Amino acid sequence: MAKTILVVDDSASLRQVVSIALKGAGYDVIEACDGKDALTKLTGQKIHLIISDVNMPNMDGITFVKEAKQKAEYKFTPVIMLTTEAGEDKKQAGQAAGAKAWVVKPFQPAQMLTAVSKLVLP
Amino acid sequence: MDLDDALKTYIIESRELLEQMEDALLRIEQAQDDPEIINAIFRAAHTIKGSAGLFGLEYIVAFTHVAESVLDKVRSNELRIDPELVALLLESRDHIGTLVEHAAQGDEPDADSDRQGAGLIARLNTYLGNPTGETTAQGGMPVEHAPQIEREETHSVATDNWHISLRFGNDTLRNGMDPLSFVRYLNTFGRIIQIVTVVEAVPPLSQLDAESCHLGFEISFQTEADKATIEGAFEFVRDDCLVYIMPPHSKVAEYLDLIRDLPEEEMKLGEMLVKCGTLTRDELAKALQKQVEEQRPIGEVLLEDKIVRPEVVAAALDRQKQVKDSKSTESSLIRVDAEKLDQLINLIGELTIASAGTALVAQRAGISELQEAASTLSRLVEEVRDSALTLRMVQIGATFNRFQRVVRDVSKELGKDIELVISGAETELDKTVVEKIGDPLTHLVRNSMDHGIESAEVRIANGKPARGTLRLNAYHDSGSIVIEVGDDGGGLKKDKILQKAIERGLVAPDANLSDKEIFNLIFEAGFSTADTVSNLSGRGVGMDVVRRNINALRGSIDIESVQGQGTTMRIRLPLTLAIIDGFLVGVGSSSFVIPLDMVVECIELSDEDRRAGEERNYLSLRGQVLPYMRLRDTFDIRGDTVRRENVVVVQYGNARAGLVVDALQGEFQTVIKPMGRIFSHVNGIGGSTILGSGEVALILDVPRLVQLVSTQAEKSGLELA
Amino acid sequence: MAQQETSKIATAQFAIEGEMTIYRAAELKQVILPHIDHANVIEIDLSKVSEIDSSGLQLLIAAKLEASIRDKQLHFVGHSKPVLELLDLCDLGGFFGDQVVIFPHGTH
Repeated sequence: MAKTILVVDDSASLRQVVSIALKGAGYDVIEACDGKDALTKLTGQKIHLIISDVNMPNMDGITFVKEAKQKAEYKFTPVIMLTTEAGEDKKQAGQAAGAKAWVVKPFQPAQMLTAVSKLVLP
Repeated sequence: MDLDDALKTYIIESRELLEQMEDALLRIEQAQDDPEIINAIFRAAHTIKGSAGLFGLEYIVAFTHVAESVLDKVRSNELRIDPELVALLLESRDHIGTLVEHAAQGDEPDADSDRQGAGLIARLNTYLGNPTGETTAQGGMPVEHAPQIEREETHSVATDNWHISLRFGNDTLRNGMDPLSFVRYLNTFGRIIQIVTVVEAVPPLSQLDAESCHLGFEISFQTEADKATIEGAFEFVRDDCLVYIMPPHSKVAEYLDLIRDLPEEEMKLGEMLVKCGTLTRDELAKALQKQVEEQRPIGEVLLEDKIVRPEVVAAALDRQKQVKDSKSTESSLIRVDAEKLDQLINLIGELTIASAGTALVAQRAGISELQEAASTLSRLVEEVRDSALTLRMVQIGATFNRFQRVVRDVSKELGKDIELVISGAETELDKTVVEKIGDPLTHLVRNSMDHGIESAEVRIANGKPARGTLRLNAYHDSGSIVIEVGDDGGGLKKDKILQKAIERGLVAPDANLSDKEIFNLIFEAGFSTADTVSNLSGRGVGMDVVRRNINALRGSIDIESVQGQGTTMRIRLPLTLAIIDGFLVGVGSSSFVIPLDMVVECIELSDEDRRAGEERNYLSLRGQVLPYMRLRDTFDIRGDTVRRENVVVVQYGNARAGLVVDALQGEFQTVIKPMGRIFSHVNGIGGSTILGSGEVALILDVPRLVQLVSTQAEKSGLELA
Repeated sequence: MAQQETSKIATAQFAIEGEMTIYRAAELKQVILPHIDHANVIEIDLSKVSEIDSSGLQLLIAAKLEASIRDKQLHFVGHSKPVLELLDLCDLGGFFGDQVVIFPHGTH
């Protein structure tokens, strides 16, 4: 059974590319355009990994991760945060919220795949 | 969906972000230190760079990265925004735009772009204190260079394999990380020769917190990859895990250090290394022997170790201020293809016609229930139409804001100090109109800056503030949107215009022209009053083109000017190009539609006026003079005349006129169909539509007719009401 | 999760079904521990384990350890494919001293 990954970013093109790469590698992908949207996508199904941007409208990634981790089904879901290299403070806030893995933008699809496969192999 | 689609999305996204970036850059000087605006600029650059990386658009990543670095310094208050920096950032933004367009075209930047980019990077680098033109490593994972390990043959271990020691932190599992997933990942770029699971730290079940992690691994690993890659496998757990990576043929002493540093008992660990095949029994014995000889305290060892933890470096470098989350008010928006919207509007147009037809039939049938149903239907259709039209309505603010840039650039070019004041930015109008008004507006703005506003010396001499003001204003007025371009310059010089017009043969030397007519001369083809043709206005596009473009939008332009005080160009445009509320009139067997918002009132043409009309073309409306025209004559309609004619009084701007028609047929909603080529030359017709009955009705171009009537009236020496 | 218990006083036999992942680690500890408390010989059937991660592995290790400290016998039987793969990955087949089919190395 394919592993499912939730991709949360306000850039549609980023979501599209990441989604193409992940699907190509054999993952199932769910997309959401911001934290709020992402929460509505968490309906109890098994999610093996969450990839989330930080700076997003409506609900930022850190709030989203905090809320997702409140749900029993996603308490232990690993999270990759997409970040700037200049975001140490954010990183700490994210770590506190439960996001331990970080990928720095910009990244190549292959880099994302590498990061993902460290946590979840397809 | 494939990558091409994603790239298209990226291009659209980037264009929008660049526009936001420009807006924000232009606002920033007035709003120094507003972290929201600075963050908006930063975020735009960052997103463009971020997604460019995904598409391998390295030229965008590389350039944007430098701009972003400067923005980051602004964000962290290390740099202050000044006009020079804003100008540089605007140029950089333009350059990013150029690069994005290259991406859209699917080609690489040409030599020109490259040169320009290099120049900008050099200038940006001066802000980064990095004048050599070197930029810092762009994005990507932090990569640590494999430390140079000296090889001393005599003391090196025999194995060709890497050795990896892992002790996972207690929270690893709670953080959603599975230690074994990292072990599995190793298999993706190498081969685990031998693995020993270190279970020494696992407590018996009764004392186990099942969500805590107590596992460790000793791994003998064969790979072609470098140390950084292996370290990279554990980047997500590095912070709270012990990770030691020993290259092949490391010194025995280094293993000794490893053994010392790991929590397990030395002998036990030694056995594991032997089991892994990393150390031979001999090597282990030698190592332990050496330890006894040296008697070094444990823990001191790793300080001299070559295992540098990259995140320490990263943390040290990174003292950036926290980005405030943009409290964006963006609500949930849906992007809709404009074409789909047009199609919807078109269909609603047809629906409007069909509904009108139904109402007509219902009326004829004389069934009151049917009439009632039809009128409910009409009302609903009307509401649907209104809300559909609002879908296309956009605020003019975005268009206005673009002029910040124009004004800024042009004033620099002209060496004038000009401030742009925007009002009515929230005024809405149809997107199609907005798209087409940009060019004419640009020309008017440039014209005002070039010819309208005087140089600072002249202004001071005339007792005006040195800084000139250009105003852009918009408001709704009786079914139109009015856009004003105003300046506080010298105003139009009537005599000069007239003289020039006579020189160019545009008017007869003895012509008697009103102020308005004189002003309007500047819209004539081939008219230019500038004493020196400047770089800006001498570009070959004249004001005549401006007027033509505006007329094409069913709009009009007029000028108000007071010498010494300034000029205001006033553009009047319909709110939408698609649908109008019309007033249906009949002349002979023809039907005409007059846009309802221009109809003031309808009166019967009295016999007296009708007789008088034989000699003069005006009538008296409650003591006021009202010029009029007979549509029958204007459009040369033959056929029986009616006994009682009616006058529809229309108003456009400040001018009123009467249109004489046979029959008044009532209000009518209609969709404007573009005029066929055949009618395009007919003066006074703006479009056509299909009636509910299937007949075609022509839509009158009231602005044009009013102008015709007024001109005739003025010629006959009337002072208009 | 249903565990069937066919316990005599000294022997406990039961099966763990479904996931042995971090989401259920705390729960499974409470399932396994009472059996070790109440029996001298414990046999845990792993044939219905559909998924196992490090936390599951840790539970197996900790259970084994608990039993051995208390001088009891604990066996895992009927290892399902995911369990076998995991033991193979960690080369832990020997640790449990159970009869397991060991995958030849180099297949991962």
